[in-house]
Amino acid sequence: MANISEIRDRIKSINDIMKITNAMYLISSSKLKKAKKDLEATEPYFNRLIYAMRSILSRVPEKVNMRYFDQREDRKAGTRKKAFIIITADKGMCGSYNHNVIKTAETAMAQCNHVHLYVMGQLGRMYFQRKVREGELDVDTDFIYTTQNPTLHRALKIAEQMLKLFETGEVDDVYIVYTKMINSMVFEPKIQQILPLNVNNFVSSENDVTKHHEATFYPTPEAVMEHLTPNFMKGLIYGAMVESFCSEQQARMSAMDSATTSAKDMLHDLSLQYNRARQAAITQEITEVVSGAS
Amino acid sequence: MAKTFKLELLAADRPFFIGECEHLIYPAQDGLVGVLPGHESLVTIVSPGEIQYKVDGEWRYAAISEGFAEIRSDYALILGDAIELPDEIDAKRAAEAAERAKERMQQKLSILQYYHSQAALNRAMNRLKVSKRHNHEI
Repeated sequence: MANISEIRDRIKSINDIMKITNAMYLISSSKLKKAKKDLEATEPYFNRLIYAMRSILSRVPEKVNMRYFDQREDRKAGTRKKAFIIITADKGMCGSYNHNVIKTAETAMAQCNHVHLYVMGQLGRMYFQRKVREGELDVDTDFIYTTQNPTLHRALKIAEQMLKLFETGEVDDVYIVYTKMINSMVFEPKIQQILPLNVNNFVSSENDVTKHHEATFYPTPEAVMEHLTPNFMKGLIYGAMVESFCSEQQARMSAMDSATTSAKDMLHDLSLQYNRARQAAITQEITEVVSGAS
Repeated sequence: MAKTFKLELLAADRPFFIGECEHLIYPAQDGLVGVLPGHESLVTIVSPGEIQYKVDGEWRYAAISEGFAEIRSDYALILGDAIELPDEIDAKRAAEAAERAKERMQQKLSILQYYHSQAALNRAMNRLKVSKRHNHEI
């Protein structure tokens, strides 16, 4: 049977840790509320944006030159330079959230030779910086963005950077790896191609889009597309950021919740052990006193 | 009852207005575009400026930063980065932003930074204009 003071120490340390996990639980639940509200507020905008993009694409005259749609088929599969935006958390303590994202990204990266990584979130950046292989796997060290409280401004900056990389030919494909929240218990790491744009990627839940008649583009179809694409990219990236942030908070919330619960279970067992040990000591003392008296 | 069409004004951070509308005027790249029910299909860029829309015989106003519009005969959609009512605009903040942008534009900057400052100045000036025009009676 363990020593009384040992058990007391353990109970104390578990109590302290439980306070931390409980506080983290409360923090992430309040952050989650805000993130969910943000997501709801922007959802109509992005649904419409996707819808508008698709309806424009279906009406755009054939010969319009759209550089963001250039699939660059002349580049062979082995030599294509691919960029990945990977969204991880800034901290651990959120179950398998980070692990899943990193694993998904690595599976995708294994198939290509030239990879540029743009990692959001402290944890993922640390992880991938250790894996850098010159010329094959690069991590952009200037790409420092947090995943806390996603803002449109941040999304725009990232979108601009990606469009520039794509235009200058530094990369041929851009993917984003994020975590999709299916419901409050299930998250799924997802990987999506964001550049070059592909008409088939814009299939959302509303499949009943009717083909519209010819429309007038003013001033020109190119100008409209040119304007729309950065906005669209921004929307895609922002959506992924918000979705990831929501999942992160949700994952942390449930991880911390179960940590608190198991701390409570341990405390229960330990206090039982403690009482037993104490009782045993008392009994022993009484026996000693009694035997000494007789 | 005047003829109406469905209007959706969606800002990136919230749905601003969804409902029936009789007349819509918005700023395009080289001037204002007016939309009445039965307009031809049209897709345009929206420049920073003032949107006016008539609901139940009453004109309403809002400031819009950059965006995009899709018009059909019975439907109009405007997606904007930010759409605000005149009394939501903080004139002081907008003035400060304009000042900052002007200052920045005088520095030696890269082209991209210059465009950013220019766009910021545009937005701030537009906010000031709209809030001045509609808030003087308060």
